[in-house]
Amino acid sequence: MTHSPLQLTLTEWDQRYAELARAGLREPWYGGPLARHVERENNERLRRLRFDSSAAALRLWNFLLTENERLRTARAQGDRLVGTMKDLGTVPVMACALPKVRPFYPDGAWWTPCLMECSDRLLVQADALGTDPSFCPVRAMLPAFLNDEHFPRPDLLICSTGAVCDDFSAIAQRLERLGHPILWWEMPRRRAPDPGEPACDLPGGLIGPAGQVECVREELQRVGVELGKLAGCDLTHERIRAGIRSANQIRRQLQTLRQTVYAAPGAPLPALEMLIAEMLAVHFCSDRGECLPVLAELATEATRRVATRQFVIPDDAVRVFWVNPVADLRAMNLLEACGGRLCGSDFMFTHALDLIPEDLPPFEALARTALADPMVGPAQDRARRIVDDCRRFKIEAVVIARIPGASHCPWEGNPIRERIADKLALPIVEIEIPPVCDALLPTLRTRIEAVLEIARARREP
Amino acid sequence: MICAGIDAGSRAIKVVLFDHARSMVIGRGLADQGVAQPRLAEEIFAATLSKAGIDRHQVRSVVATGYGRNRVAFATTTITEITCHARGVFHLAPDTRSIVEIGGQDSKVIRLENGGRVRDFAMNDRCAAGTGRFLEILAARLDADWSKLGDLSQQSRQPALISSTCVVFAETEIIGLLAEGVPAADIAAGVQNSIATRVMAMAGRPLTAPVLFTGGVALQPGMVRALATTLDCPVQVAPEPQFTGALGAALLAARIAATASTSSP
Repeated sequence: MTHSPLQLTLTEWDQRYAELARAGLREPWYGGPLARHVERENNERLRRLRFDSSAAALRLWNFLLTENERLRTARAQGDRLVGTMKDLGTVPVMACALPKVRPFYPDGAWWTPCLMECSDRLLVQADALGTDPSFCPVRAMLPAFLNDEHFPRPDLLICSTGAVCDDFSAIAQRLERLGHPILWWEMPRRRAPDPGEPACDLPGGLIGPAGQVECVREELQRVGVELGKLAGCDLTHERIRAGIRSANQIRRQLQTLRQTVYAAPGAPLPALEMLIAEMLAVHFCSDRGECLPVLAELATEATRRVATRQFVIPDDAVRVFWVNPVADLRAMNLLEACGGRLCGSDFMFTHALDLIPEDLPPFEALARTALADPMVGPAQDRARRIVDDCRRFKIEAVVIARIPGASHCPWEGNPIRERIADKLALPIVEIEIPPVCDALLPTLRTRIEAVLEIARARREP
Repeated sequence: MICAGIDAGSRAIKVVLFDHARSMVIGRGLADQGVAQPRLAEEIFAATLSKAGIDRHQVRSVVATGYGRNRVAFATTTITEITCHARGVFHLAPDTRSIVEIGGQDSKVIRLENGGRVRDFAMNDRCAAGTGRFLEILAARLDADWSKLGDLSQQSRQPALISSTCVVFAETEIIGLLAEGVPAADIAAGVQNSIATRVMAMAGRPLTAPVLFTGGVALQPGMVRALATTLDCPVQVAPEPQFTGALGAALLAARIAATASTSSP
């Protein structure tokens, strides 16, 4: 069933759902009207968001919002659950390669205070557990581990440490002290190879010292042994190769989706749905197999809309590159309300969008991918990629979102701003978005509108 | 062609009526902001029109700007205060390269290109440090009239050192300074320096001269000196600085109306 694309409120989606159902909508087991996620899980924030009106977007949201249910079902069916923390996209590829092992992303609890509009009291409880607001909202994960009201407790917890976010390391250490043993693996801070030092190509056009790749490879092999013990079978090279191929299918699908949406003359999909879709690259929303058709349906819808020139926002919207994920999903809607459209993104895991090399020994390939993580290298590397993407997608303005308390935000903003200013002279704005940003909406709106006004003024001769 | 700009700020609503044909301001109005923002905007707009002898139907276009711009129901469109201040300043002093605007709740540094277009801008974050709100808190603490703080600061012999990072912390410091018997004039001058320091930190790098100071806080004696000293460059105060945003809005309204009339059949 085709119709003109719109951004709908939750109430409007109820009506749209009825229309789709009458037209013979076929849904997977996790389908249903969006409003049920408010009623069942108290996700009040959904009442204040605007959603894309396609059946593909409905499937995406339902897939996302049923993750905890999916994990509980998997546990009941005997699957082993692995919490893969901080690592954004590498260990889940290994875990998914094993039978009846399901990785998930406990850090994803950082969106729970937003979705539940703080009625969950996770942030207050995190405060009481020693992680106050000077830490990133990922601290919501701590009480979520203790109260069993969100995700089920994993059978194995794995966390990367070293050159990763400082406050995440602190939060994870606190979690361990609270009685949740963690299998740590070390991530060195990526650096440029010294002259004459053996070097390796990394995904994303980066180069790293071979010694660092070797270090990460050994760490991942150690993790692989533990995963094998959990699964009761070895994580063989063949299994990982198959896992890499499956992960790359998803990454290719995401690349297609991004290219279709960001390069289009208008916006075939809204910013919010693109953020959610890209997040699937990190941990597959606990179901790698289902992830692919969810993304494929979204890409098909985007392609159809581009072909029929049906866009969700006016064609003259300013083409915006967005840096960092937002603690409050409402901020993505705000971009469109201000007259912008998402045409490029760096949500801190661009390495999870790059293909994992399939022509290398599998642990070597995964190690190179992990070392290409934008969070473990200099912000200048990240800035370089952002500038390249800005050129590729004809970006007119850049929004850098800061996450309150996140230790990486203060030091990465300037290098990114400076490189964009130096190479492209695009208007840039930095905004800090708390988990519930309602009280700040007027000031956030002013900042975003101002940067879009500057971009529009530059269109004039 | 008469157009209007409404700057619905956090502390006051300002109205400017601009006659495009004669290229001159033909009316100004100002009222305190309050809870009933839409009604207050309506009232001051009507009062300004009446005072200028203009019938409402003569106004071709209205641009609302400022913190409360989206609550000005009768506006043709809204434009941010960054763009409006830039436009107003370009009209008043076209050579200006940097604007410092300090209002009741926000402060901004706006860098301009040749031709008055905005190159980039910085705004205060959530904290009221570096804004007029700090002066209001000081006035309340000193039991003084806000408008007299500038004169008071001129009597200072040794400005107090006051935190520029947080107004709440700074208020605690002011209480401590008063308890120690530090003269109110020194505290007032110290607060002005603190605001100027915050603005400089927000700017991030040196400002290109000429620098024009706009916004209601620019009316306060002593603030321009504090800014010039802290920024280490000459700073000029815009004529009637509290109306710069509304003037820019009126000029942009005129442009919108002109564009609409040329594009209509």
